[in-house]
Parts: sequence; structure tokens; C-alpha cells
Amino acid sequence: MEAAVGAKPRVGVVKLASCDGCQLTLLDLEEQLLPLTERFELIEFPEATSRRSTGPYDVLLVEGSVSTREQLEEIIHLRSQTRLLVTIGACANAGGIQALRNWADEPAWRAAVYPTPDYIESLATSTPVAEHVQVDAELRGCPIDPRQLLELLTALRIGRRPQLDGESVCLECKRRGNVCVLVAGGQPCLGPLTQTGCGAICPAYGRACYACFGPREQANVPSLHGWLGRELPQVQVDRLFAGFNAWSPPFRDPAARAVRRAHGRDGAGDDADA
Amino acid sequence: MVTAAPQRPAFLPRGELDRLLDLLHEDGRTVIGPIARDGAIVYDEIRSAAELPAGWTDEQAPGRYRLNRTDSPRLFNYTVGPQGWKRYTQPPRVPLATATRDGATVSFEPAVSEPQRLAFLGVRACEIAALLVQDRVLAAGPFADDDFRARRANAMVIAVQCTRAGSTCFCTSMGTGPEVTDGYDLVLTELDDGFVVGAGSQAGERLLSQLAPAAASKAQQQAVTDGVAAARATMADQGVAAEGLPARLMDRLDHPRWAEVADRCLACANCTMVCPTCFCTSVGNVSDLDGATNQTERRWDSCFNGDFARVAGGNFRPRRQDRYRQWLTHKFATWHDQFGTSGCVGCGRCIAWCPVGIDVREELAAIAPPYEEPAAPPPAIRPPSLDALVPLPMVSYSPSVAQEPAFRADTSVATVRAVAGETADTFMLWLQPDDEGLLAARPGQFVMVDQPGFSPVPISVSRVADGALWLTVRAAGAATQAFTTLQPGAQVGLRGPLGRGWPIDRALGRDVVIVAGGIGLAPLRPALDAVLAQRDRFGDVLLAYGARTPADRLYLPELDAWAHAGVEVAQIVDRAGPEWLGQVGVVTQLLDRRDWKGRQAVAFVCGPERMMQATVSTLRTAGITRRRIFVSMERHMDCGVGICGHCQIGPFFVCRDGPVFTVAELGDLFGREGM
Repeated sequence: MEAAVGAKPRVGVVKLASCDGCQLTLLDLEEQLLPLTERFELIEFPEATSRRSTGPYDVLLVEGSVSTREQLEEIIHLRSQTRLLVTIGACANAGGIQALRNWADEPAWRAAVYPTPDYIESLATSTPVAEHVQVDAELRGCPIDPRQLLELLTALRIGRRPQLDGESVCLECKRRGNVCVLVAGGQPCLGPLTQTGCGAICPAYGRACYACFGPREQANVPSLHGWLGRELPQVQVDRLFAGFNAWSPPFRDPAARAVRRAHGRDGAGDDADA
Repeated sequence: MVTAAPQRPAFLPRGELDRLLDLLHEDGRTVIGPIARDGAIVYDEIRSAAELPAGWTDEQAPGRYRLNRTDSPRLFNYTVGPQGWKRYTQPPRVPLATATRDGATVSFEPAVSEPQRLAFLGVRACEIAALLVQDRVLAAGPFADDDFRARRANAMVIAVQCTRAGSTCFCTSMGTGPEVTDGYDLVLTELDDGFVVGAGSQAGERLLSQLAPAAASKAQQQAVTDGVAAARATMADQGVAAEGLPARLMDRLDHPRWAEVADRCLACANCTMVCPTCFCTSVGNVSDLDGATNQTERRWDSCFNGDFARVAGGNFRPRRQDRYRQWLTHKFATWHDQFGTSGCVGCGRCIAWCPVGIDVREELAAIAPPYEEPAAPPPAIRPPSLDALVPLPMVSYSPSVAQEPAFRADTSVATVRAVAGETADTFMLWLQPDDEGLLAARPGQFVMVDQPGFSPVPISVSRVADGALWLTVRAAGAATQAFTTLQPGAQVGLRGPLGRGWPIDRALGRDVVIVAGGIGLAPLRPALDAVLAQRDRFGDVLLAYGARTPADRLYLPELDAWAHAGVEVAQIVDRAGPEWLGQVGVVTQLLDRRDWKGRQAVAFVCGPERMMQATVSTLRTAGITRRRIFVSMERHMDCGVGICGHCQIGPFFVCRDGPVFTVAELGDLFGREGM
């Protein structure tokens, strides 16, 4: 992350393959929106304005994964127009839920989903932006967290390193006083492997973390996988990793097993655990 | 808490517990006690005894905790839950200060700590031990945490005896329980129909006399003894061999089990969060969009986090095994050196709440089992304890300033006189502090430089002159980069002087060998200034300076000046262009054929740790002993005063005990990977 950008930085918000939820987090900042527009020039943000721009950008927030040939060309072009490229959300950071197709028979899935699959031109894989161009910073989550987005923009203004901790969700759970849903509740919680930033929302409501913020630094997947596997069938444990961040390297092995098993790629037949 | 003479125990029927709560409420106290919530016993506000977890009991095992309903009328029939009392004595988030910026002007307003009056109800023996450990850590050192002190002073302790123990409990082996013996105002032991009550302080006596309960019968008193004995008996076979454990553990820093446990450890930090004595914190900033108003907040951090030991340019504990070793050795070994007590109170929380059931008792037994008798323990190569760490004599090199720099906990303002480039990636920050106490900085000490909205940066003082501090800074991160944009007249915050610097006195009458690598010359320049101020009081003085390239050398004009002022200046660079006529290679080459044997020379060394390691080895070969070689260590520093925990190397807080150490003090830890 570089030091402070110019007086009124030119900011763009663009999307590739995604649901738009992360972009909407920016609109959800509500009372901060006007102050933000006074400090940043939003030159591209189709969700909010019909004003269009081709750049260049001081800061570009990129949502979505690279899922089509056009998107691949677009992201390479956008990178050339951008000083700081920030990926936002699990799709842009890790390929998203749609990356489950990376282990599947893509034409077969396309045919199953669309009535006229011939109209659809997509790549066989859904991949993170960082597999194609350099990424300067990432905001995790599905969707991203508004406080983290605000921190990123504030840090850009002030010139400090954004305070985006790499620690596990567990710390925030414990600071909040949540009772551990794994130890006390026996739920298969991925919080110990997952990067913080959400504020430990799910465990605060008694629900296990499903890693929508993706793996943290030092995510020891084999250890937790093995521990959960003492009480759950392996296929169920594998499936925990086949979510929004399935394609992120620490989650890939169990996610791949889950997808292949569900689709009989390993000869085990459909949903062997069902 | 003033201890009173023990009074005859009394008996309070269970139905009258509310009278105790009423008295506490009348005393203006909020009562915090156990409640059953979300499947666990947690500590929260209690308004009446009806809220206590009647009939609940717990079942704990590594990585597992369950609450079970029973028909018992008892209110305290469980052991400890996930939360310790540190939640109330050292809360997860504490506002520290408001830092504001208005143009070039900055200000730092400390947050005011006005804790509620509390009463802790249901504090177990191990938890009292934990509070007493916290007292030593946060309130008994050279720097006391005022917020903690105020919270602790405002909390009354109403203890409850354990009459049963869980499978994860091991207070008996840590010597902290199960019997409550100290550190309480009142102590309750629950029987089937009520409580045997005793007072442990004058405040407790007053409460007890207001309650005016009947005396406990002999049978009731016997039930207390039996109950505690039952808890003790449960723990007979589930402890750790605590006797001699610190030395054994520090002997095993290279044990293969560290890597093996790291295969299981998630580095998720749960053990440190539930530990009632783990005290490490970090400071975060919440800023408005312009960085004009910045609230700083101190929050629980953990040595298992990736950023915990990170500095610009590297991480001192990158691997899980480094972090697990740091935690376990600190808790069970170096804590003794630092605070005269174990960091573990045997509550077993780290065992139950580890998501993958790692049991410290098993790890300790595998890594540091008791030595087999009668064979003598192998000769220990271990670092000396803090007892051996004596204050180094340090002279101020600006004689006009008082010898003893006063310690300053608050951030004061300093005005930028100039910012000037030094080399391609370093610059000089020239600061005039409002607080003249900062000018008492001695050679090798450092200051924390604070800009609103940024994390404070530790910077060594590279000269004190003309009422100002000179800091030589490498633009390594965002905060240091931001210094480069400061204009003359702008303000920053300063805190210090901090740490233990170069002991110039130790070099009086002796040869002085100063070895610097790169920007490592910055903290050594004040030592040179001090020596040159009284040049005739020292023997031969050598400066051996190594840098990456000729252009990376600091203080070029001064290198010549020193050479003319009676210092032998030897220089070497890693890479040179055609303009360089000097030596090419590593700094140790400048020392290779030297001989200080029998001369009692003193060496001051600063540079990257690898460079210092090689240098120390060369200096020792040349006849300078480990006690006369001083090195300045770099670690992640947040607080600068030994309470945030980031900068530890074995028993040392680098910020407080160092950054300057003798190589003998660091012993086996010097240059060791993952410390």
C-alpha cells in the first residue's frame, strides 16, 4: 500500500463475475457517503451513477472473479489504468462460490443451468483477480465489511497502512465474549482458520463461522479438518471448505474432494454421504 | 485489600445470599458473577441470586466443554468457564487517548479511566492467583498500568471454594489451589443448604458483621475441609511437574516436539484469550476521514498472531512452532524471570478451549519431563535470569542535562525543525521537544514518535544537540514514510527517552570498538559523541562500519571528522562502483586480524541480527569477552515500557530491559531463530 494519494483521488468501482453485494457496501455507508464524495472523486460506479469513465484511476475497487474471456481482457486493461487496485469480496479475492466449477465438468453444468447454453460463453474456471494481475490490497468477506471499507478509504486519505488484521475470527469472538460454538456447542466452526474483519457476527448469534472472509495467515486446515473428522464424516467436513473461498489455496484440497464426490468424479457416485 | 485476623467461620443459608448482594448494591457496587449463557458459565452482571446458575454443572476435556443440568440446588457446582476476570480488570478494549491534528498542530489527550465499583462473585482460587499475577505484571513493574490499577482497586473479591475439580484442572501442581488462602474479601464454600463464609479483609469483615450470620457448625466446617480435599484428590494424577520446570523447558528450545505440536496448533490464539494471565495488547486507531481526530484503543492481542512479532522488513516469529514455543516458554519459564512467579495458575482453560484439544500438560510432559533420578541434570545452557540484569551505567553526553532522565508515560509534543535526506532510503528528523526531559536521552536510548492516525514508531536517538533530538529514520513503512512529508514547524508526538542504552562508563580507560551495519550507525553515533566529548578518557577507539554500497553510508562528513578527532574509521561495503577505493566485503573483515587480548576492550555493536552474530563471533576470537560486547536488539515495540508484550526475547522485554544487552546476558537466545 502506498502513501497518501492526491488531494481528491479518482476512484472507480467495477465488477466482474459477482452479485454486486460488495459494491453495495459502499452505498450502505450512508452517513459517510457525502463526506466520502467530498474527498474522493467517484468517476466510475455503475451501481450508483450513470456517469462512466475509462480511467485512469488512483484507486480501483474490483468486485467479482474472472469468469469470461471479456473479463480477463477487461481486468488486464483496468490494471494498466490504475495506481492502486483493491479487490473486494470473496469472488475477486478467491474466485467466489462460482469457482466450485473449477473442479467440475463446466459444459455439463452450463447445460444444466441455462436453457440455451449456447448463448453462454464462459471460461472453464472462475479465478481470483490476483491470478491475472497484480493486486495491491484486498478486502475480504462475502460481502465485505463496511468498517473495513471505511478503514481502507480512510487509510488511503491519511497515508497509513490500512488496519486489516490477519488474525483469526476467534480473537474477536473472545473479545466480544461469545461462547465458543465449537468447544461448547460442538458445531463445526471454521473461525480458527478464518481471517477476521467481520466482527465475529455468526458466532455472536450462535452459528458456526463458514469462512466467508477466507483463510487467514497460517491457516492450519489439516489439523482442524482432522479434529472435526472425529465426530463428522469426512465428506461433511470437506464440504465446509467448498464455499465462497473454495479456490483459495489452503481450502482447495477438501473443497476439491467435496465437489468431486458430489458429482461422482471419483467414481463414488452422487452425494455418497447423503 | 487489607488482611484481617481470621474470624470464626459463619454459615449463611442459601436463601440469604440475596442479603449479601443487597449489601454490595448498597455499597454502590455492580456485582459480576457467573451465569449460564450459550452453553457455558460466563461472568456478567448479577442483580439477584436467582440469576446464578442453580443446578448447572460442567464437564470439561481437551477441546470440549459442556454444561449439564442436575437436581442439585447448588449455585456454584462447576469449575471455571471460558472467561477469566481479566475481562473486567484488563478489558478486551480500552480507550487510550484521542490524538488530533489541526494543520501542523497535534495534540494527545489521554483517556480518563473511571472504572465502576464492582464486586466479583464466585472467584476461584486459581482465579485469585491470576489476579495476583496480573498485579505483578501490570502494576508492580517500573511502569504501572493506571487503568488496570484503578479497576483492580475498585473490585471486591468474593471467592468461592472449589469442592470439585474438572479433568482439565491442575491448580494443585501450580500451587494456586484448590483452597482459597489469600487475596479475597469474603470466601464462600457451598454446601447443600448454604454457605460457610469467612472474611479475608477488613472490608470483608464489615460485610460479614452486617450479614450477622450464625457460626458454622463443626460438621459444616468439616464439610468445607472435605470438599476442598475432594477437589484436590481429583487433581492428583492430572498435573504438570512444575518443580524445576522453567530450567528444563529452557533447556529444550530445540526439542522436535515444537514442530510436532505446531502441526496440530491452529495459531488461533484461543489459549491466550482465555488465559487469565495473558496480558499482551496492541493499539489500534479509529480515525475520521481526514485523520483529524483519532481515537486510539488498546485491545487484547496474542503472540500467536502473524503481526505480533513483525517489524518493517521481517517477522521474528514466522512459524507456528515459534509462536507456540514463545507462548509455552513464556508462560511456564521466563515469566518466573520477569515477574517472580509462573504465568500459569493451572485453571485449564487453554486445554478446554483449544479448538483442537492441545493439552499443555501433555506438551510439557513430552518436551520437558522431569529429569530421571539420580542422574544429575545436564549442564543447562540457558539465559541468565533478569536478576543478573543490572542497570548499566550510562553517561549523558550532554553534560548540561541532568544525569537521570525522568521516565515519561505520556506523549508530549515536539516541533519539527527540519527533515533532510541522508541516503536514498534514510532521512534525518530534527525535533525540538516541548518537554526538555526528552533531551536527557542517553546514548542508545530511543523514543516513540507518534503521529495522529498512525502507530507510534520506535526510533533510536542519533544525537542530542542544541535543544533538539536528531533521529535517523529509514522510510520502511507508511508511518516512517509520512515523516518525510513533514514541514518545518509541524508537530509530532514524542514519548521517552526509553530503554537501556550503551554503558559508556564501562569503556572508560579502555579501548572502544564500535561496529555498525548500515543504519545501525544511528544509535551508535551518540556513543561516539560521548567518547569524543572526553576523548582522553578512553584508549584506542575503532569504528568499523559496513554498508551495502558507498551511497548507503550515513553521516559521510562526520566519518571524516571522526577520523581526524582520534577515531580509527574503517569502512567496507558489500557492493561498490568504480569510484570506491576502499574495501569490499562484510564488516567482520575489518576485524579479522585485530587483537584485543588482555586489553579489556569494550565493543558496541548495532546492525542486522545476522551481522551482529558474525561480528560477535569475530570479536570474541579477537579477545573481547561476551560481558564486554554490547549489542542493540531490534524487536516489534508498541508500548515501549514492558506491558504490551510484543518485544520479548526469552525473559527480556527489549524495550525496557534493552535494547542494549551484553552478549552474555542474551546467552543462548542471541541470534536464535524464531525468538
